[in-house]
Amino acid sequence: MKEGYFGKTFSQFFQLLWNHFIKACQGEYGFLDLAVDEVQLITLTLLSVTAAIVGSLLVVRKMTMVANAISHTVLLGVVGSFLVLHYFLKRPFSELLEVDMKLLILASLLASFLTMICIDFFHHTLKLGKDASIGLVFTSLFSLGILLVTIFTKNMHIGAEIIMGNVDMIHRDDIWIALSLVIGNLFIFLLLYKEYVTTSFDPGFAKLIKVSPLLFNYIVIFQTSVTLVASFRAVGVVLILAFLIVPPVIARIFVNKLNAMIYLSIVIAMTASILSVALSRHILTVYQIPLSTSGLVVTILLAFWLLSIFITKRRKTSKLGSGLTLAD
Amino acid sequence: MIPLLHFFQDPILTASTLGTMLMGLASSLVGVLVYVRKRALIGETLSHATYPGIVLGIGVFSIFFDHSPLIFPIVVLLGAFVSGFLGIYVIYYLESKLSLNSDTALCFVLSTFLGVGVLLASKLQFSEPVWFQRVQALLYGQTATMLTVHVYIYAVLAFVISVYILLLYSPLKIIHFDYDFAKVLRIFIKPIEFFTLILLVFAIVIGIRSVGVVLMAGMLIAPAAAARQFVRKFWQMFVLSSFFGVGIGFLGLVFSVNGSIWFQEKYGQKISLPAGPIILIIATLIVLFALIFERKRGLISRIIRRNQFKMNCVEENILKFLSKSLNKVHFSDLREVVHLSIPVLWGVLTMMKLKKLVAESDGFYLTKDGNIKAMQIIRLHRLWEVYLFKCLDVQRENVHKSAEEMEHIITPELEEELTELLGDPKKDPHDQIIPRKEGLS
Repeated sequence: MKEGYFGKTFSQFFQLLWNHFIKACQGEYGFLDLAVDEVQLITLTLLSVTAAIVGSLLVVRKMTMVANAISHTVLLGVVGSFLVLHYFLKRPFSELLEVDMKLLILASLLASFLTMICIDFFHHTLKLGKDASIGLVFTSLFSLGILLVTIFTKNMHIGAEIIMGNVDMIHRDDIWIALSLVIGNLFIFLLLYKEYVTTSFDPGFAKLIKVSPLLFNYIVIFQTSVTLVASFRAVGVVLILAFLIVPPVIARIFVNKLNAMIYLSIVIAMTASILSVALSRHILTVYQIPLSTSGLVVTILLAFWLLSIFITKRRKTSKLGSGLTLAD
Repeated sequence: MIPLLHFFQDPILTASTLGTMLMGLASSLVGVLVYVRKRALIGETLSHATYPGIVLGIGVFSIFFDHSPLIFPIVVLLGAFVSGFLGIYVIYYLESKLSLNSDTALCFVLSTFLGVGVLLASKLQFSEPVWFQRVQALLYGQTATMLTVHVYIYAVLAFVISVYILLLYSPLKIIHFDYDFAKVLRIFIKPIEFFTLILLVFAIVIGIRSVGVVLMAGMLIAPAAAARQFVRKFWQMFVLSSFFGVGIGFLGLVFSVNGSIWFQEKYGQKISLPAGPIILIIATLIVLFALIFERKRGLISRIIRRNQFKMNCVEENILKFLSKSLNKVHFSDLREVVHLSIPVLWGVLTMMKLKKLVAESDGFYLTKDGNIKAMQIIRLHRLWEVYLFKCLDVQRENVHKSAEEMEHIITPELEEELTELLGDPKKDPHDQIIPRKEGLS
């Protein structure tokens, strides 16, 4: 019988993880033998990788607040698509968060598209400032989402759950979702690397060589929204937003090339997610406090950031302010 | 349905009514300050940044005190204030010391602070479930449980904000509209900007009770954005914005209370519609209305103006073409000149007939008025060509294209000035006669 993670401290956690890893390599453990903590660990790590790729693109394109906006409006997409299901297939509302992934992804694409269109409408057609357009659009669309949830499910807790995430709801199948996200995003990134670089750093030149910066804005936003929706059920919007922003910001302190930034942020994000699962288990074992793993990841990321600032200050060899340059 | 007056008389409703209206007042006043600096999203970040402080404050508070409705709002306020302050500092540090762009800095603070808040909340959920429920209510706002003590606190905060803006009106105005001039005047820019951000935290603290952490950003943007459409002066913007803010707050509460009652009567279901989202939706509708229907800057009037100008150009081009052609011109020939669809061109020609500029009998030709107007346009065209050729040293071959556009734009005053400047020329660079002004009136 496989040994569980219950009652393990920090170091014991890694020992056991290593044992299981060895056994898995020898073929003694299959996919179905994965313990809850391992599922969490693998899912978080995979999500952190995909978020680091997309997040770096968002950071260099200065589109992180748009990502934040979409992290809110995804709710409207989910609720809206569920309303359709409810009326045509008579699905009860208690299953709101158990809709299948394909529908969720479709809903998120629609929601992000709607958000972008609305922001563009406010900004370009109605001549409202860019920041004001973003703020107004996502708060009102999110309000609409909350109202619909309240009216049709008669409670507001689903809204809270989407924000906080519920790690208990992580399921083995989430691994496949996260894995396909990683493969998909990595593939798109490697395929379109040059286009990403040109449209991010020199939109004028990109236009000249017939690569539309607008199209790539939409591609990045779609990648973001798929990443968001695939992960919010498991880890919550807050965590995935932090995964998108914080590792690239840390990486930017040390490197100044886009690809290096992405690789470094992948490493940072993976480390943080592995540490957090172990640490939350440790805290549960030693202090009997069940902490939110998502909250813990963000806090660890924040600690990483503080640490890296401290290091660069000590070394006095700051590359800060040099800004990102074009990758070679 | 509860009649409007009851919102001010009913002992339970009065507190939430006044509280929501004060929220509208505070956020709309501060909203103007952040809106004109184009930093509207800082409200979104700071409202999220208050969350860990609130949770931590309540966590500490729950260790020492029992459930007391009097101290709770003060603890929330203090916690929100401390972590909001920290949030301001981190944004400042990221932007100025690490030269991160403001978009990333805002989102960084937002996500990390909220994440720490989630971590602390999960601790609270475990140790103090009752308090946890009350903290969660602040995420989306809860108007129903507002007490008189809240109203007092909010009134004081809103008063501080109003007095600050009244006292520092002119320095604020200079900083917001001419930053460099403010530097020259040695106005205390840094302290004033810092205090403005603190007031922003005040407004957010008031707001999280009624619209919640998540939706606060919209409430800071909407009244200011709507007010901006209608005013020309800074102080008018404050007045109108606060009017919108208070109105939106009140209407939102009315709709949420009456909407809940309506649902209960109609479907027999007990739903309490949250006030925050309704306030936000009303606010957005008002902004939309202002942006679309405002008399001068609104979308509709801009479209109308643009089309009028286009039609005017078409009309003048037709006049020019008719005056140059010796015979009567057929509809199909005109279409080839102006490239318009049949109904549009037909409309334009009908309008011109009504204005008695052209007449039609077996083809179109100019009336006397039409001829005068056509000559006027040709005069402007050629005057502009002379100006380009003489004063701006443009090649003779290149002056025509610019004049094609300018002939529709030059005003009578400009024409007079050109005539004077060029010494009332008789001929244009292509040696064509410029129609005399005297014959055209």
